[in-house]
Amino acid sequence: MIWLSLYGLFYIAMTLYWARVGARENGDFETYFSAGHALSPWVSALVLAGASLSGWAILDASAEVGHSGFGFPALLQAGIALALPGVLFFKRIWLVGQRLRLSSQSELLRSYYGSEFLVCVSTVIAVLFAVAFAGLQLSALSRLVEGLTGGAVSAPVAATLLAVVLFGYVVIGGMRIVGYLGAIQAVLAAASVVGFAGFALIAVGGFGALNAGLATLSADPLQAGRFMVSGVIQFTTGAGREAAAGHEGTALASLSIAFALMGFQASPLALKVILSMRTPRALAAGQTWVMAGAYGGLVALCVGTVGAASLIRPDLGLSGLLASLSPWFAAWLFIGLLAGVQLMAGLGLLTAGEALVRHLYKPWFHGRLGRRDTVTLTRVVIGLLAIASVLMQALTPVTLSMLGSLALPLSFQLWTPLLGITWLRWITRPAAVTGVGFGIAGVLLTEPLGIAVLSFFGLDVPWGRAPWTLHSAAWGMAANLAVTLLVSAFTQRRGFSEEAQEIRRFLGIALRTSARARALRSTAWSVSLAWLFLAVGPGLVFGNGAFLGPDRQWLVGMPSLWGWSLLFWALGVGLVWFLSYKMEMASPLSMDIPAYAPHPKLRVHQDAQERDRVRALVVTSAVAFALIVLTALGFSR
Amino acid sequence: MLSPLPIVERSILVFSTWAVLGFLGLGLLLEGLTRDSVTLSSLGVGGIVLAFVVHIVINGVFDTGFSPGETALGIGAYGLLGLVFVIGAITGETTMADFYSGLIFFGVLALGFLTYLFTRHGLRGAFSRFHVKPASLGEGA
Repeated sequence: MIWLSLYGLFYIAMTLYWARVGARENGDFETYFSAGHALSPWVSALVLAGASLSGWAILDASAEVGHSGFGFPALLQAGIALALPGVLFFKRIWLVGQRLRLSSQSELLRSYYGSEFLVCVSTVIAVLFAVAFAGLQLSALSRLVEGLTGGAVSAPVAATLLAVVLFGYVVIGGMRIVGYLGAIQAVLAAASVVGFAGFALIAVGGFGALNAGLATLSADPLQAGRFMVSGVIQFTTGAGREAAAGHEGTALASLSIAFALMGFQASPLALKVILSMRTPRALAAGQTWVMAGAYGGLVALCVGTVGAASLIRPDLGLSGLLASLSPWFAAWLFIGLLAGVQLMAGLGLLTAGEALVRHLYKPWFHGRLGRRDTVTLTRVVIGLLAIASVLMQALTPVTLSMLGSLALPLSFQLWTPLLGITWLRWITRPAAVTGVGFGIAGVLLTEPLGIAVLSFFGLDVPWGRAPWTLHSAAWGMAANLAVTLLVSAFTQRRGFSEEAQEIRRFLGIALRTSARARALRSTAWSVSLAWLFLAVGPGLVFGNGAFLGPDRQWLVGMPSLWGWSLLFWALGVGLVWFLSYKMEMASPLSMDIPAYAPHPKLRVHQDAQERDRVRALVVTSAVAFALIVLTALGFSR
Repeated sequence: MLSPLPIVERSILVFSTWAVLGFLGLGLLLEGLTRDSVTLSSLGVGGIVLAFVVHIVINGVFDTGFSPGETALGIGAYGLLGLVFVIGAITGETTMADFYSGLIFFGVLALGFLTYLFTRHGLRGAFSRFHVKPASLGEGA
C-alpha cells in the first residue's frame, strides 16, 4: 500500500509538472488543441506506438492468450498490423494537413468531402475511444488497485482517482502534454511490459520451464486446440448462437481481428497526433523501428510470454502476478500499466472534447464562439466525458464493454474515406459517405450492442456475435467496400470541392515517386499480400504444424504457432521497412509547404440559422426519445 | 543557448530514464536489502549507475550539464538516504548484507560523482565547482 501510494504520488507530481510545462508553452489556450503543430518526430512516434499498443496489449491480449491460448495469432502481430496503415496513410495525411492547415480528422473529412455525416462519425468514434474503450481499461486498472491495496481502496474510488489525474493534466496542458507526457508514458508502459514478462518467467522457472509446461498442456487432447487455429473459417451463426468446433480462433478470425486493430491508425486519435507533428521526417523510422520493431517485438514476445505463463498457471494472470511480487516492483509495474492506459485515454479525451466542441457545436450552433471560450468549453466537455466514463465503469459495465468493443471496428470503416483522400481518387463523396454508413450498419449488426438494441425493439436477428467467426470489422468493411465500389461507379461525374481538388493536385506534385520505387511496385504488392496471407490470413493454418517434428515435438522449443508468429513479426518488420523506405511510402520529405489560400467567400450571418438548429435539435431529440420508448413498450419482450 | 524545445525534449528523456532505470534499480536494491542479498542490491546499484550514465549521455547529446534542480534533488536524496543508513547502522538494525549493500551504494555513487566531475571539468576545474570565489575578486582574480 505504502509503495503504491509513493509511486502514485510520483506519477501525479510528474503529470502536474508536465501539465505546467505544457500550459506555459500553450500560452494557456493559444495552442491548446494541436501543440502549435510542433510535436517533435520522435515524441510523436513514441506517443503513437504507446497509445496504439501498450495498454490493451498487456491487459487484453495477454488475458486472451492466457484464456484461449495461441488461437488468435493476429494479437501477437499487433505491432505490424498497426504499423502498416501508418505507412499507408500518415505521410500523405500530414502533407494534406500542412497544406490546408488542418489539425484533426474532422477538419480533414469536412475539407475533402464536405460531409457533416463523416464529421459526426469521426466524433462518435473519438467519444467511444475516450469513454468506453479507455474506460474498459481504466476499469481493469481500478480492479487491480483494489486487489493491490487489499480492498482498502475500492474499485469505484480508484476509478475516480485515476479519472481525476487524467482529467487534471489533459485539461491543463492540452495536446502538448499529451505529447510530452505521452512519450514518458510510452516508455514506462514498455518497461512495464518487459517487467511483467521477466517476472512471469521468474515465477514459472525460466523460458525452458515455460515451454515445458506448454508442451505438457498441449499433450492433453482436451487442451491441444489452444495451440492451433481451428481451420481457415467456420460457417457458424456466431457466438451466443452456435459454438465453433474446437474454438472461435480460425485463420480468418485472426485476419478480421487484424483489420480491427488497423482501425486505430485510421481513428481520430492517431490522426490528431499526426496532424500535430512538426515534420514527417521520422514517420518511416517511427513506424518501422518503434511501432513494428520495438513495440511489435514487445507484443510478440513479452505479451506472449505473460499470456503463456498464465496459460500453464492460471494464478499468474496480471493481478496474480502483481500480488506475488514485492510491493515496490508491483507498484512500479502498475504505474507502467497506468501510464500506458492513460496515454490512450488522455489522447482520446482531448480528441473527443475538441471534436464535440470545435467541430460540431461551434460550426453548427455557436459560430461566434471565440478561441478562449472554445478551449474553456472543451475543458468542461472533457470533464463531463471523464465523469461519464467513471459512472459507466461503476454502474453499467456491460454497456461499457459493448460500447468499447465498437470503437476499433467502427474506426476501421474510416479506411475508405481516408483511402479516397490519400490514394484512390475515384472514391467519390457519395460513395465514401454511403459506404461508411453501410459499414457502420455491418458492424452494429454483428456486434453485441446492435443485436441487443434490435432485441430491445423486439427484432431477433438469426445470428450472434461474429458470424462465420469473422470479427465485425470485416463484416462492416465488406458492406462498406461493396457499396463504395458500386456508388463510385455510378457517381464518377460528380465534381469535387475546391479543397478536394487542391488536395489531389498538391499530392500529385509533392509525391512523385522515384523510378526505382515504381519498378518495385509489383514486388511490394507481392510481399505485402504474402505477409498478410501467411502471418494473419488463411496461411495461418500452415503455422499449426510448421515447426512440428515427425512425432509432434516442437522443433523450435516453443509452440509452433508462437514460433510462426515470432518469425512473421521479424519478417513484418522487414516488410514495414521496405514499404516505408524503399517504396517511399513514409520516407523522409523536406519541402516547404505554403498554406493554401482559398478563394475569398462572403461570411454569412448565421445567428438565426443557429437558433433554428438548436430548436430542431431539441424537438428531434424529444420526438426520438418518445418514439424509442413507445417502440420498446410496444414490441420488446 | 538552446531553444526551449530541445530543453523540453531533454527533460522528457531524463524523466523516462529515471522512471525506468532508476525505479528498477531502486526496486532491486530494496529487494536485495529485504532478502539480505548483496548480489541483488549490487544489481540495483548497477541500475541506478546506468541511469546516471544515460543521464550524462543525454546531457552530452544536448550539450548541457545537470540543471540546478537535478543537482539539488540528487545531492538531497543522497544525503537523506545516507542519514537513514547511518542511523540504521548506529541503532544496530542493519544486517551485514544490508551494511555491505549500503556501502556499495554510497561508495559507488560518490565515486561515480567524483569521476564525472573530474572527467567533465578536470581536477582543478572540479575543485573550482565547490570553491566559492569572493565577488570582489572577480573572475579574473
